[in-house]
Amino acid sequence: MGFIRLVVLGFIAMTVVYFAISIYSRSIRREKLEDAWDADHPDGGDEAARDTYIEQGMIEYENGFRKKLIWLVYIIPTFAVAILLIVMNTN
Amino acid sequence: MRKFKITVKVLLFLIVGGFFHYVLPQHDIVRVTSTEVIRADFNWYNRLFYAQADSGNAELTTRDIRLIYTEKKKTWLLGFVPRDATEIMVYRNEDTGWIWPPYFKFDSSDLQAEAAALASRGGEQWAVITHYGWRIKFMSVYPNAVGIRAVDSPDVTIIPWFNIFFFIFLFIAWRFVIAMWRQFRERSVDPLLEDAGEVWDKMDDHADAASEKARGIWGRFMAWLATWRKK
Repeated sequence: MGFIRLVVLGFIAMTVVYFAISIYSRSIRREKLEDAWDADHPDGGDEAARDTYIEQGMIEYENGFRKKLIWLVYIIPTFAVAILLIVMNTN
Repeated sequence: MRKFKITVKVLLFLIVGGFFHYVLPQHDIVRVTSTEVIRADFNWYNRLFYAQADSGNAELTTRDIRLIYTEKKKTWLLGFVPRDATEIMVYRNEDTGWIWPPYFKFDSSDLQAEAAALASRGGEQWAVITHYGWRIKFMSVYPNAVGIRAVDSPDVTIIPWFNIFFFIFLFIAWRFVIAMWRQFRERSVDPLLEDAGEVWDKMDDHADAASEKARGIWGRFMAWLATWRKK
């Protein structure tokens, strides 16, 4: 019973963290793209071109490796518990 | 107000600090003298300080608890003054199981056997016992031993690796939460507030214009007089 509770509560907690980090990371990425565009176009540039540039960058981010790293939020705690379990219970 | 704030901060610090002091692992240098099992009938005020029945067993109101009797080398007085003395310390030895605190300890019986093996060496064997919790004599509360290992002499240096990494992790997590909150404010809340601010300014302008009208000639005259006053 305790094991089921740990799995359910742990899963909920990790999911909350996963989504929080996803939103944060996406926001940072978008801000960096905006800053990069503004650095290249001090006068502001074309509004539509700016939008396509940012959307293109966001699509690259969505398919990129960095986004997949957020899955570590699920993987690291699971492994930590497994390792702790083994270390604590072997003499 | 300032005193109130300081009181709240001190209380918060004490509660959080006490919580970590209770839950995080600590190391004691001990000589195990004997082990024992006693029956414990919990009360509402000390039940909180015990774990649950051994993993796989049913939870009843009364159960046996394993104890480890030791003679413990006193820790440094207030963390600064070395003391060459020993004191008595009693540890309980319970499964924490899958639940709180997350030590994932299921091997209480094995730990008891290890403690008994150390005790059988005539009480001369020094050992490092890892535990969490407090000894509260008035409530019959014992710290829970989670691990024990034999050492050659009582003068071993113990580095609390887990606690070091735990607090580093906690610090990083805290900075991360702050960074996330700032980003959220900068990108999501502030633009909303700016919009709201613009609306507010407009309303303010209208209000100013209206009060200007309402104030009339006398009001304007008084305002003009006010400009002559010493600033």
